[in-house]
Amino acid sequence: MSEVTVRKQKVRKNHTKKRLIFFGLLALALLLVAVFAGRLVPYDPYEQNLSLSKLPPSREHLMGTDLYGRDMFSRVLIGAQTSILYTLVLVLIISVGGTVIGVLCGYFGGKADSIMMRISDICLAFPGLVFALAVAALLGGGMSNAVIALAVISWPKYSRVARSQTLAVKTEPYAAAARMAGGNAWQIITRHILPNILGPILVTAVLDIGTMMMELAGLSFLGLGALPPTAEWGNMMSTGRSMLQTHPWLVISPGIAIFITVVIFNLLGDAVRDYLDPRNSSR
Amino acid sequence: MKKATALWIAACMAAGLMTGTAAADETEKKNFVFGDTTFNAENEEANINPHEAYCGWACLRYGVGETLFKIQDDSTLAPWLAEGYELVDENTWKITMKEGVCFSNGKPCDAQAVKASLEHLIEVHDRARGDLKIASMEAEGNVLTIVTESTNPTLLNYLSEAYGCVIDMEEGITEDGMVVGTGPYVAVELVTDDHLNLVKNENYWADEVKVDEVTVRTISNGDTLALALQSGEIDAAYGMAYASYPLFENDAYTFTGIQTSRSFYCQMNFQSEIIQDDAVRKAIAMGIDKEGFVGVLLNGYGYVGKGAFPETFPFGGQNVDTQTYDPEGAMAVLEEAGWVDTDGDGIREKDGVELEIKWLTYPSRQELPLLAESAQASLKAIGINMIPNVTADHNSIWKDPTQWDVYAAANVNCGLGDPMNFFSTHCLDASTKNRGQYHNDRVEELAAEMYSTFDSDERAALTIEMQQELLDDNAFIFCSFLRMSMISKASVTGLTAHTCDFYELTSDLDIE
Repeated sequence: MSEVTVRKQKVRKNHTKKRLIFFGLLALALLLVAVFAGRLVPYDPYEQNLSLSKLPPSREHLMGTDLYGRDMFSRVLIGAQTSILYTLVLVLIISVGGTVIGVLCGYFGGKADSIMMRISDICLAFPGLVFALAVAALLGGGMSNAVIALAVISWPKYSRVARSQTLAVKTEPYAAAARMAGGNAWQIITRHILPNILGPILVTAVLDIGTMMMELAGLSFLGLGALPPTAEWGNMMSTGRSMLQTHPWLVISPGIAIFITVVIFNLLGDAVRDYLDPRNSSR
Repeated sequence: MKKATALWIAACMAAGLMTGTAAADETEKKNFVFGDTTFNAENEEANINPHEAYCGWACLRYGVGETLFKIQDDSTLAPWLAEGYELVDENTWKITMKEGVCFSNGKPCDAQAVKASLEHLIEVHDRARGDLKIASMEAEGNVLTIVTESTNPTLLNYLSEAYGCVIDMEEGITEDGMVVGTGPYVAVELVTDDHLNLVKNENYWADEVKVDEVTVRTISNGDTLALALQSGEIDAAYGMAYASYPLFENDAYTFTGIQTSRSFYCQMNFQSEIIQDDAVRKAIAMGIDKEGFVGVLLNGYGYVGKGAFPETFPFGGQNVDTQTYDPEGAMAVLEEAGWVDTDGDGIREKDGVELEIKWLTYPSRQELPLLAESAQASLKAIGINMIPNVTADHNSIWKDPTQWDVYAAANVNCGLGDPMNFFSTHCLDASTKNRGQYHNDRVEELAAEMYSTFDSDERAALTIEMQQELLDDNAFIFCSFLRMSMISKASVTGLTAHTCDFYELTSDLDIE
């Protein structure tokens, strides 16, 4: 009976590993497109040519052209740079920042812990995008400000996870042993706590990429993110929306780009979670 | 018993009949819903009080108020509430009121009522006071005598401005800016930036009003406006996005359009060091693709601008010379002035300063963001880094001269049928909208001459010369003129666009 269970776990483990590799490769491909977009674009994504305005998709212009005669395919490609790279920067900021705050609060406790957790309660009490809208409106338009606005409201998720994991780990016997062996707080956090809580943080971060991308695109759509003429998918959908009925490719092209990217990162997040799930472990 | 039953049945039938009639009356009521993108506080039209900012536009457009004279589509004046006028001497005007004109509350609108309305106007409205230059007024029966402080040949034109709507000052102005006028509709409810409810003026002096109830809905978003008209939520729309026009170019809808003197123009900030450079202003003027802007971005619903006035006027753009779109020429001008791209980033520099232009504009006129984005690309091509700031907050930002170099805006340059209004508000030292502190001695001289010239040919000649001065200085760039269009369901009749952009809802309005 135990042999059968082990076999099943092995099969599942192999399957999740394959999924992880598959979606990892797809995500890597997207990142490469974003990084090398400048070399891949067939036309200058910012060059206006009003005589080519609103052309439907064709062999010359795979996704048609926009109101200003700019090639949509080139703009979608270069838009990947803005959309994906800003999203990754955002997720990096909130995951690192939130984790540091959470670990310090969990490890040291005290008044600082109470104050930080109450602040995080306030951030979590508001609907995310509404709070981000308010912050972005205060800061003004621009991608950097949109990233700051979303970072301000999104870090508590990570600090909560990190804090609860730290509270659990710091009472483990190995942490107590490290303390008794004369380890200082920095050594215990970096050598014993962080390596043991990274799994859930990583899963949250990868799953968050899709959500953050949608929220950044949402802010741009509402005019609080990327400013014209910056090619950004949300902003492109916003400027094309008045032509949705007459020239649908102006909205569909960036829309599909957002859809594909969000799906790939969400499935990658699922694969990472499944892979790190202790139930899949053969131990 | 039988008698009682018969009476009961008869009473029931009578009641039923009356209910039926009432129901029929209810169904016969004509309701008209009008969607407008510009009726909002952002456009200084927070209510319908003509004595406040630009709120008179709403008062006049939606048929609540009327003026003494009316501007016709050929830009001449026709009597409206007034019967006629007599110019007694250079400073004295005798205006005779029409018999039988009354306010919507039934009170007569005589010379005394007009005097009270104008007195309050010049007391509270700086722009009107400056335009009208009224020194004193006297009312006697139906004759109003106005004496001006100095010669004012355009007094009647200014009295036809939206602020000149005659309102009943005995009734006063409510806290939320509601007034009683003489027009075909009576305002009953106003929620700023949302809606204005009007009902038929049963006492309308001129005509029978055909529509019973009107709702003007503020719909600032062009896409929402298009969807509202498509779904039948509104019956007609003003300010539709050009991109949505193809949706309505079919038998189910009617377009009413006319060329107006509403120009989309750029005003230079002479307090900005970079703009003080003649070459920079000239290059900007040569770097804007007006034909492309009108033909493509406005879907052809406009006219390329040359001077301050459209070519339909005797003093229009056909009489002046200006810069045309010439990127090569613009680059040569900049090169000659020492603006060179030394670091190869595509943007020119001079003495270590990058050629960067802060372009301020606003979104409530849909053409302006399109102009900004188009100009951004065409100016970049000649080495100018243009940074657009498209914001509803433009009115406070332009007051800080460090925040902008070029201000792009929309203005009806000859809505009153006389060109002087544009110069007096935009180009002179004392102008309220001379945002960039432009000064030209010759323009000041010509303006002074205009103020005392009555002859229309002489006025036209002066206007042409003043325009040429502005264009030679590249102080203003007139990009295009609006072909104003309103789109309505095919069942709507009597909704007509006018060159002056006033008089939208009139007693001619009807729904078949």
